[in-house]
Amino acid sequence: MTDLPVVGFVALSAALFAIGLFGILTRRNFILILIAIEIAMNAAILNFVYFGAFSGGTGGLTGQAIAVVLIGFAATEVAVGLAIVLALNRLKGTINVAQATDLKL
Amino acid sequence: MSIEELAFLALAAVALVTAVAALLVRELVHTILWVAVFFVDISAIYFLLEAPFLGVLQLGVYAGAVTVLLLFGIMVTRKKIFSREAATGITAVPLALAVVTFIFIVAAVGELPQTSQPVRSYDPTFLSENLFNTNGPWLLLLGLLMMGAVAGSIYLVREGRE
Repeated sequence: MTDLPVVGFVALSAALFAIGLFGILTRRNFILILIAIEIAMNAAILNFVYFGAFSGGTGGLTGQAIAVVLIGFAATEVAVGLAIVLALNRLKGTINVAQATDLKL
Repeated sequence: MSIEELAFLALAAVALVTAVAALLVRELVHTILWVAVFFVDISAIYFLLEAPFLGVLQLGVYAGAVTVLLLFGIMVTRKKIFSREAATGITAVPLALAVVTFIFIVAAVGELPQTSQPVRSYDPTFLSENLFNTNGPWLLLLGLLMMGAVAGSIYLVREGRE
């Protein structure tokens, strides 16, 4: 049984989420935005795993099960995101999100 | 300070550095390389937290599949694979928002034990029982979502659009 600092994990995932949020807000390339979303998503999944690992009873297993489902969600999201990238590239010739303005008035 | 705590500090430092580097380097292929290191690092953290099944899943799904999908996306959308992105500077408002989010999350979590706590290890057999019995509906939902995602992706990239 290993001992680990709980506060360190909270700080790590909060920092990773902040980095991901910064990337989503500043990048213009669709693939970079997807990567930033993945970084933020990983920070969120990490929360389930470590709060599960530090809790007693069967709470840890529920945390791990939710993490398994969330990893599947994230992979699905990347697949759909890349389909959007391909469609955007075919329609506009670029994957810069600033150019995707078809729905603007 | 125990060897596990040192390992955690090293892994956390690598995670932060690779996440920042992935978003700041200007060549997209280098971004993918940094983010692959990030995913492997997160999987090492899962192993440290006594969750080996999740660690293997992270290696297979993220470091394997997602990285290759992203590389594929880069390959088909640009003429020169190693061309550089236009520089996007660090703007003040998003940076401030990210810092505020970080402080807000750390503050919102509230009182946590300041000392190191024991990590419980579980038998993977019980994890499968939990996954397929207690949390079975979530797994079914994931399957339905993936089916919808397959149909949606094929609709988006099909031939003869416009």
